[in-house]
Amino acid sequence: MANSVQTPAPIGHALRQAGFFTLVLFSTLIALGLLVSVFHTDGLSPIELLLLLLYAILFSWICISFWSALMGFFILLFGRDRWAISRQPGTPPDPNAPPPRTAILMPIYNEDSQRVFAGLRATYQSLVDTGQSDGFDFFILSDTRDPDVWVEEELRWQDMVRAVDGKGRVFYRNRPENTSRKTGNLEDFCTRWGGHYRYMIVLDADSIMKGSTLVEMVRLMEHHPGVALIQTPPVPVNRESLFARILQFAGGIYGRMFTAGLNYWQLGESNYWGHNAIIRIQPFLDHCGLPKLPGREPFGGEILSHDFVEAALLRRAGWEVWLAYDLDGSYEEIPPTLIDYAKRDRRWCQGNMQHLRLAMSRGLNGISRLHFIMGVMSYAASPLWLLFLIATGVAAYLQTQQELVYFFGQNWMPVWPVSFAVEMTTVLLVTLTMLFLPKLLALILLLKDEKLLRAYGGLAGATWSVLLETVFSVLTAPVLMLFQTKFVLAILMRRAVGWPPQQRGDHMTSFKEAAFAHGGHTLIGVVTGVLSYWYVPAFFWWFTPVLAGLTLSIPVSMLSSSITLGRQARELGLFLTPEETDPPAVLRYLAENLEDDEPVLPVLQDKPHSRFIQALTDPYVNALHLSLLPEREPPGKRRRHYLEGLIHHLEEEGPDSMSAAQKRDLIADPESLQRLHALFWSRPPADAGALP
Amino acid sequence: MDRSKISAGHHYLAPSVAAPSSELLFGRLGAYWQTLGVTDPAQVQALTEQVLRRAAELPDTPLLDPLARALLVCGDLLDEWLARALELPRPSRQLAAARAALLSGVAPGWPKALFAPPGEAMDGLLDTLREAIAEPTPTPVVGAMPTQRIKSFTLLGLVRVLWRKLFGG
Repeated sequence: MANSVQTPAPIGHALRQAGFFTLVLFSTLIALGLLVSVFHTDGLSPIELLLLLLYAILFSWICISFWSALMGFFILLFGRDRWAISRQPGTPPDPNAPPPRTAILMPIYNEDSQRVFAGLRATYQSLVDTGQSDGFDFFILSDTRDPDVWVEEELRWQDMVRAVDGKGRVFYRNRPENTSRKTGNLEDFCTRWGGHYRYMIVLDADSIMKGSTLVEMVRLMEHHPGVALIQTPPVPVNRESLFARILQFAGGIYGRMFTAGLNYWQLGESNYWGHNAIIRIQPFLDHCGLPKLPGREPFGGEILSHDFVEAALLRRAGWEVWLAYDLDGSYEEIPPTLIDYAKRDRRWCQGNMQHLRLAMSRGLNGISRLHFIMGVMSYAASPLWLLFLIATGVAAYLQTQQELVYFFGQNWMPVWPVSFAVEMTTVLLVTLTMLFLPKLLALILLLKDEKLLRAYGGLAGATWSVLLETVFSVLTAPVLMLFQTKFVLAILMRRAVGWPPQQRGDHMTSFKEAAFAHGGHTLIGVVTGVLSYWYVPAFFWWFTPVLAGLTLSIPVSMLSSSITLGRQARELGLFLTPEETDPPAVLRYLAENLEDDEPVLPVLQDKPHSRFIQALTDPYVNALHLSLLPEREPPGKRRRHYLEGLIHHLEEEGPDSMSAAQKRDLIADPESLQRLHALFWSRPPADAGALP
Repeated sequence: MDRSKISAGHHYLAPSVAAPSSELLFGRLGAYWQTLGVTDPAQVQALTEQVLRRAAELPDTPLLDPLARALLVCGDLLDEWLARALELPRPSRQLAAARAALLSGVAPGWPKALFAPPGEAMDGLLDTLREAIAEPTPTPVVGAMPTQRIKSFTLLGLVRVLWRKLFGG
């Protein structure tokens, strides 16, 4: 390929990367030097060697994050990055070329249909507001397996088409088999309809994007023909629980600094985060057909976290991948509770751990490898921190067991032990600074922009929010560390995970759920606390933040899931974000669509017990569903027998006795669908309410 | 599920009637037509009679009782008219979509058109129907997405590369 790839990155790009990695390397070496000077006095014991190794890995990981944030701070402070993709003029598109067409894709899997379509409609409405919606089509790419959700999606799609007059602009399809999950879903789109479009903008089920942002993404792609992908930074919005509001605040206030910093050193070698990104379809078709990795899951089999791999393959082929850190109007929703957050981590963890193998694949660019390693480290860091803490505890204990010797050989003068308190304190302070300074810098940045400062609740509100967020993150970090350690170990022991749909809506965590999820954490916190207090009392006090997080994990998890507390914090001006204080039109549209859920289709106004039964009984729903089934060869004899068996099963035992897969099989077959429609009308069930 | 709760004689759907009375046939078919949007009793009667005539000509199907067969004929009758009026292939997805459009309520006067003499203008109705027919996906443009090769790093591979660099070949 590479027919449209631009000239190699200017020397300045290389210098930026060299400078950045030199900073990371030097700060790691300095911190290590301090630690070595402490350990070195009487030679390195095995445990000290282990500590040094772990510290080197973990500190360099922190350094990448810290220096990215610092670079981002300076960029935002001075207001520009001249090499940002949005600042480069690029090449004006050929005026004689046909205008680009862009497909906006929303892959979904058993999601809340009402929310999905409310969000998509908000994005559509915002796009219409720009007056430039003609170049865009919308695709709902359903991999839904649940028959009730499937039918609901069809009705919601038809309702949206009617409501926005979107015939021929808003499309829907449900895949008969969800082969290769999301990757297969997108591949199916690309190979069947990709030829109609120059670009695709991939959304997640909870993504919302401003119309002007979509238009700007296309404009940037048009002006940069060597760019295959532009990722926008999605800002978390819309949740009301305390946990989510804290994360939304953190994502907003710190996120913009980190993404600016990432763009500083990644430039055209950035990464793909799976959604809220625009992709040039042709190079995606040419270079992103993902293979199955040899071997068994979790490291072999289908590539789960496809996004990083697709970005790496595009880079391998010479295309540029950018992070448009300064494009706003890109939003997503986050898990509402600590437990949901951990569940999402469980799914992501396996995909990211698979990248360990890909990082060592041949032919990839260096920065792509680094992206893979960073992905691995976002989970592997947890077991490494745990190991580091255990090793520190053991080392501290061993030190308490040593008796101090003041007189050596014939010396009559005592030899006083050397104190390394200064060095150790320095190491600790440097580490803490690297972890917490970015929070302070983010606060300083707010002072530069009065409007933004007000949007975050003013100086007092923002300062209190940062302080409380810091306390909260200190409390939850050890819990997440244990969760992630468990996930990593489970994956290493080859216990694969499924790909369950997310529970996205706000909901409270019950005591039972919290106790089940965090009982082990609490126990570990109490036992470790008692042991360290008993055997290494000096260590205990250093360890209290970790112990407090673990011991209090049940109440913290429950309280932080509270929507009431989230709302009260908002009333107090805490954890405010610009999207809360002054929501953009697209988020207002979403709220309106959810509140005034008044479908155009009368059939959607009913809330039947089961959309599956409605597809069998209601002539309109039945006909609509039938019209959306893919044209396929009639089933073979064996399949026909199976389907007839299912029909008898339904006739005799009713729908509650059937699995979702069985119900899906029935309504996926046109003949069974029509036959059951006739059967339900000729022999209505005792519960006659089933009929319209 | 707990199968002990299901008595042998109790089924979810009502028992099938091998020889339904004309009262039952007219009653159930009439209700069906009304749900589809045919409200004029005379039209309901005429359509039901037409359906029953056709159903009687069909061969017996062991899996469907006479009433269910007649209900399927109702759909056939609609499809036949839609295919003719909209010039759609039969059977086809477009025809099913046309039936859905018809039943969606966008053209409430459609039963009148069903009884209109051949050749009578009903362009307005057909245009409304055409406009309401769902278009779930665009026409496919088949494209290829070749599977990429990702070569894993192996020690043997490294040795091979070194060998080639050092000794060529």
